Amino acid sequence: MAGFLKVLFRNVLEGPSTDPFPLGETFTPDRLRGRARINPELCMGCGICRHACTAGAINITPLSDGSGYTIAIWQNSCCLCASCRHYCPTGAMSISNDWHGAHPEKEKFSRLEQHTIKYEPCAACGVLMRPVPAALARRLYSATPELDPEQIRHLCPQCRRQEDAKRNAGTIQVTTTETLAARELTSAAPTTY
Amino acid sequence: MSLDKTLKKLSVRSPWLFRINAGSCNGCDVELATTACIPRYDVERFGCRYCGSPRHADVVLITGPLTTRVRDRVLRVWHEIPEPKVTVAVGICPISGGVFREGYSIEGPIARYLPVDVNVPGCPPRPQAILEGVVLARSIWLKKLGLEE
Repeated sequence: MAGFLKVLFRNVLEGPSTDPFPLGETFTPDRLRGRARINPELCMGCGICRHACTAGAINITPLSDGSGYTIAIWQNSCCLCASCRHYCPTGAMSISNDWHGAHPEKEKFSRLEQHTIKYEPCAACGVLMRPVPAALARRLYSATPELDPEQIRHLCPQCRRQEDAKRNAGTIQVTTTETLAARELTSAAPTTY
Repeated sequence: MSLDKTLKKLSVRSPWLFRINAGSCNGCDVELATTACIPRYDVERFGCRYCGSPRHADVVLITGPLTTRVRDRVLRVWHEIPEPKVTVAVGICPISGGVFREGYSIEGPIARYLPVDVNVPGCPPRPQAILEGVVLARSIWLKKLGLEE
């Protein structure tokens, strides 16, 4: 009969178990999957996030003048699966623990995580390209300390290939004793798509 | 302010909730049940409780992407709810179609058929987010009643 007294005393001592939210603060676990975020410093525009996105929430549109691209995540279509974060090769995608999402209908299409990212000219030939993020370049070229990652990351893929060819030209092993004809030394014309 | 309006403001009704499953995977429905039944979240603090009949409801919570099979039933039930009513789309499916968008049996998003007032995105939204949406729906409902600016 006195069992309820135990419950009563516990309630008096510990207070109600109801979370005070929305009148007060609530708890948010650190690893809760909330709004997806893009780091515009790291994004290369490769499009693997768009490919991996389960709900088709990511859109990448090139600018009409070709000077960059716009990447957008529509929060109202994002299913919080974090595939973009898993597959992003540069770590530009992250999932914050911001879960505050309720909004009136007129804000429906303005809930975007959107960044317009501009291309930069290649340091050697001037063609517009996206430089490799500094952290990624340091990791990529950590095995070759003679290369300066800060310098090479501002080269376009074509110029990087040429630099590589120039650097390695002396180390190529020639097995034939005969002199090669000039046409055999030049590679085939690149395929144009 | 007139005496009539003051009295109405003092004795405002409780917004009762009604839940429509428009072909949901049940994830959002579980979160709705959690919001209502677990003392930690306790949506009844705001006077909200689930009712069995659409004719008693003030706030309607819709989950699911609106499949072809349930479309006409959802519309019929929704039209039985008396005005003024507030429609809340819970989860990304009724808002945008979510992962089911452009499927062969999907008629949604729900805004093609019904005027939506509040969106609560998430897959599923956590109970606190649903509470946020219900509180927002309550203030919209009070505005529709003319009791809040």
